[in-house]
Amino acid sequence: MPTSRKTDWYRSPNECASDTPCESAEFPYPTPADKGVDRRAFLRLVGFSFAAAGVTACSRGPAQTALTELVAREGIIPGRAYWIATTSWADGSGGGVLVRCRDGRPVKLEGNPAHPLNRGGLTASTQASVLSLYDDHRFDGPRLDGHSTSWAAVDEAMRTKIAAITAAGGSVRVLTSTVTGPSTRAWIERFLTSVPDGRHIAYDALSCSALLDAHAEAYGVRALPRYDLSAARVLAVFDADPLGTWISPAEYSAGYAAARSPETHDNHAMSRHWQFEGRMSLTGTRADRRVRTAPWETTPALAQLAATLAARAGVELPGPAPKIDALRPAVRDALEDSATELWANRRDALVLCGSNDRDAQRLTCWVNHLLSNKGRTWDLDAPSQQRLGSDADVEALRQELLAGDVDLLLTAGCNPAYDIPGFADAVSAAATHVSLASLEDETSYRATIVCPEPHELESWGDAEPHSGLYCTTQPTVPPLRNTRSLRATLARWTGDERDDRDLLKDHWRDHLSNRRASQTEPFDGWFDSVLERGFVQLAPSPSTPPGLFDPTQAAGALQRAGRGQSAPAEGTLRAVLFPTVGILDGRGAHNPWLQELPDPVAKTTWDNHASLSPATAETLGIRDGDMVLIAVVTDDGSNDTTRPTLELPVLVQPGQDEGIVAVALGYGRMGTDRFTDIGPEWIEAIPTVRPGDTVGVNAAPLLHFSNGAFAPDALNVRLTPTGKRRPLASTQDHHSLAVPAHLAPPRGAVRDAVHLITLPELNDDHTYAPDDGHGTSTELWADDHEPRGHQWGMAIDLTACTGCSACVIGCQAENNIPVVGRDEVQRHREMSWLRVDRYYSDRSDLGPGEVDVVHQPLMCQHCAHAPCETVCPVLATMHSNEGLNTQVYNRCVGTRYCANNCPYKTRRFNWFEYSKPDRMQNMVLNPDVTIRSRGVMEKCSMCLQRIQEGKAEARRRGVPLKDGDIKTACQQSCPTEAIVFGDLSDPESRISKQVASTRAYTVLEELNVKPGVRYLADVRNRPGEEG
Amino acid sequence: MLRTRIFPRTTHGRVFLAIFAICGLLVVAGTSDWRPVGLHQGYAPVQPIDYSHRLHAGELQVDCLYCHHGARTSKHAGIPATSICMNCHTTVSAGFDTTLAERAKALSEGREPKRIVSPEIAKIYAAMGLDEDLEPNDVGPRPIPWIRVHNLPDFVAFDHSVHVTRGLACAECHGPVQSMERVHQSRDLSMGWCVNCHRSHGVEASMGVSPDHVKLDPSQHVSTDCAACHY
Repeated sequence: MPTSRKTDWYRSPNECASDTPCESAEFPYPTPADKGVDRRAFLRLVGFSFAAAGVTACSRGPAQTALTELVAREGIIPGRAYWIATTSWADGSGGGVLVRCRDGRPVKLEGNPAHPLNRGGLTASTQASVLSLYDDHRFDGPRLDGHSTSWAAVDEAMRTKIAAITAAGGSVRVLTSTVTGPSTRAWIERFLTSVPDGRHIAYDALSCSALLDAHAEAYGVRALPRYDLSAARVLAVFDADPLGTWISPAEYSAGYAAARSPETHDNHAMSRHWQFEGRMSLTGTRADRRVRTAPWETTPALAQLAATLAARAGVELPGPAPKIDALRPAVRDALEDSATELWANRRDALVLCGSNDRDAQRLTCWVNHLLSNKGRTWDLDAPSQQRLGSDADVEALRQELLAGDVDLLLTAGCNPAYDIPGFADAVSAAATHVSLASLEDETSYRATIVCPEPHELESWGDAEPHSGLYCTTQPTVPPLRNTRSLRATLARWTGDERDDRDLLKDHWRDHLSNRRASQTEPFDGWFDSVLERGFVQLAPSPSTPPGLFDPTQAAGALQRAGRGQSAPAEGTLRAVLFPTVGILDGRGAHNPWLQELPDPVAKTTWDNHASLSPATAETLGIRDGDMVLIAVVTDDGSNDTTRPTLELPVLVQPGQDEGIVAVALGYGRMGTDRFTDIGPEWIEAIPTVRPGDTVGVNAAPLLHFSNGAFAPDALNVRLTPTGKRRPLASTQDHHSLAVPAHLAPPRGAVRDAVHLITLPELNDDHTYAPDDGHGTSTELWADDHEPRGHQWGMAIDLTACTGCSACVIGCQAENNIPVVGRDEVQRHREMSWLRVDRYYSDRSDLGPGEVDVVHQPLMCQHCAHAPCETVCPVLATMHSNEGLNTQVYNRCVGTRYCANNCPYKTRRFNWFEYSKPDRMQNMVLNPDVTIRSRGVMEKCSMCLQRIQEGKAEARRRGVPLKDGDIKTACQQSCPTEAIVFGDLSDPESRISKQVASTRAYTVLEELNVKPGVRYLADVRNRPGEEG
Repeated sequence: MLRTRIFPRTTHGRVFLAIFAICGLLVVAGTSDWRPVGLHQGYAPVQPIDYSHRLHAGELQVDCLYCHHGARTSKHAGIPATSICMNCHTTVSAGFDTTLAERAKALSEGREPKRIVSPEIAKIYAAMGLDEDLEPNDVGPRPIPWIRVHNLPDFVAFDHSVHVTRGLACAECHGPVQSMERVHQSRDLSMGWCVNCHRSHGVEASMGVSPDHVKLDPSQHVSTDCAACHY
């Protein structure tokens, strides 16, 4: 049987060509061994070590006191985890969360498998939000004119102020991000009706304003459709990143993966995914067919698609067929092909568009209407409420504020002075500005009064992410800071003294409990059961039903689409702003886990950058790390002096369109110089950020308000290299599996770490069979490793994996993995046990600059013939009877032989004592996992603590361990269930079935190390000619 | 790697070596409490309350699990919450002898016996923020700072529940606590001591586990894998 196609996969375009060649990449800095050691140096070292050991080793540790609880709480046993169901908006999607608490404090967030929205998956940003709870920079108590004060004083001042405004007939504006919680909404309304001119304005920094407006025009309701990606047989995505950052990534990823598993459908059917985009988004990396479409082509492309589909549907175009000449031939052809596929699957197709241009959204509405897929792949009857904001409203508010017409501005849960160009001045123009921020940020720093809000994990609340899906938020820990929720604050100012829980509960009693199916159950019991589950499905609140599709606006958009869209002039590029998976709109900027999370596509940490296509970078004569100035140019070609010039390092991004420069939003947040000394302190340390500086640069001033929405991709910019360099803290070249050129075997060094095959190759031709190595099956340890009991193994389905990196943060939270800072990342010393390798492969056969991308989560492979075990001089890394490669920290003396001998480069060495005492963030540490000290090797343990806990629980209950009882942290949080862990010795287990798949292979099989981790080949639904 | 000999074969070198060795010995000798590093057998710290296990567990035969109930369900046996002390000590406020003596004295003097609060039990009340008449005091609650006696290093994960549910007696590891006035660490709790027990207690060994239980899941053997305790 022929083996799989060998492909040249690479991880960075400058692999083997950069200033740190691959060969030396493992040790980029000279070690003492390279310099040689003389007698004096040796004696100095020996003397110091001996003295240090003598001083520290022979004393008894200090007596440890143990403070006990005063009153034992029912159901809480010290040392046992308990779980609390709640809801998180950390990624703006309102997914269900189970909070794992130990000894009275939350230590880990996991997806709630019963929750209808995210079904157990959780994005990286939500998982990391537990660390933000313990942020010691959060406000502790209210502030008045920059001074700490008491709530009574603030309430008194506000009541006086509100009375004065009421008497004078003044105006009050409440500005928030999307608020879906029925009780919070009710209190905002109640507060605003108590003043003469009160209005509530909501906006989303990750805006869907144009999408909402287009639906308002077309269907008469301003609502966000509920998309069901699992029902889509053909999915065409224009400029959106639903798997990474767009609206509800965990929900969409779960649906997407369900539609794309070759095994679950008859005849191995998979959905077909078209992606039209300019920058390389996470969703784009997963596409079956990715068509590079510049931002100025998006609307014309949708117009062309609409016109083609209208012709197929026999719908007469309103007016003459538009002449669309802004499209390149490649895009035009691809649109023709995608239209054919969409039409053939019309009731099961779905078109998504993430553009914030209203015409693009009008056309998308029309395309979906023509495909008659409403009610099948998307739904407006019970719409999503995850985005409700209006850009036009917030822009109008800005004008109003600048005109001095607002007497009281209240901002809550948002940071408009950072998110919206020109809003900082507007905020300062308000007569009184009250901010309900939790940290000092660009908005709260300008506020007259700060009323800090609690973190989600320490507060009561509710949410309605989808109409009729009511979710609750409840405290998992007593308040760590002196804070008060928006609801309670507004209640106090309207003279209501009830506490927050009663405000919530009473609202549910009065307004929601009458909608439940059975009215016989007492309210208290019902409410408690809702809190216990975290959500309840009720009849949605009565609202206008969506009307029939009104094509008027779409027809107008079709006529306009041919005009006014053009490529930037020669010498300029189109700036495209986008959120990253970790930082999003900047809400993750104060979270060190998210700052150090390598971006799933760019693989950079601790910075944003100007992303350029390889061709553009070559034209400009710049490479990774070169600094450029990005200046906005006006229509006449001169520099726009009203907008700031950004200075950013360049990153060359394969697969990106030539005409654009992409810059991540969410960086440059005020106060991020707190990370100056996040890394270890030593003589050569370079601070992650200079004092007074910020991590990255804020790109939000490059948002452009046009057509009723803030467009992230409307401005043209000119790039000027400054000649300076700022090497990026990028992990893409770290821990490479490639064989260095000078060590390559004579037959070449092709190592296929990832397998990418097409559906026909899997299905019809049976041309795919994983490489069986070189036919070696020698047993190295036949007598030594007696398998006993369970044989743990893992399978990772690369078809399901989207690369979203939720597993990376899940692992970090579970296993107490330290943050090392920008400088240490540049020294290849990031500590993540689980990394996601992202591979490119040139597909110039599909067009110049086209690439395939595959993501591969890689952790310790738990080899049966582990190369690390044989070289450890102190037996600190051992093989367990259950098939695990275990690392014994207390035995490890730090020779690092094991890391050198690991072919997968998954071992991490503690160069420093990363744990620091007396940090509030230490409360997030998992008490079940050892904190590693300096000089110790560590690596993935397959969540050994969870295995032991699962086995212990089975023992306590006297029942056998069932398949699925134990889930590793990475597996639990994976929104697409790409990771399966289980017992290989049980033929009925899910893992055994995955391993038996025709797609299963092991990485670097030719080494015969017999890994316990299998991968399932990435399958793309491509016809033969695209394959 | 080494360019020269570390100790040249000269008198000078030998003197140097001697000084080096003497310094080493001095460091070792300087530590008065010479014992293998980290083993604290016999450690018996003075606790903030002079609590007697001999009285409670021995004389009064209170079950270990009454106070240390976590031992059955959790990793940690747990130091009981103060409220658990109060289950009895709300009514029992002094020793039996003292109370009897007071009753006899009261009888002879023809008055109602006074409530006597022993100074040690008063500390429990103080911890709860109560005075001797069990009314709230001015100071407020303050938890009792017990001192841990059995203290394994952080890199060892010991789970009480799996040992207790398989029938291992508390005394196997903690010694005759019911006869200790002040608790001390009875065993050395070294790894060798743990492993010896794990080796000698196979699956079939009598640990109060029924053979059926074991058959349920053969993997529930007594493991000597490093991974059983170190993670």
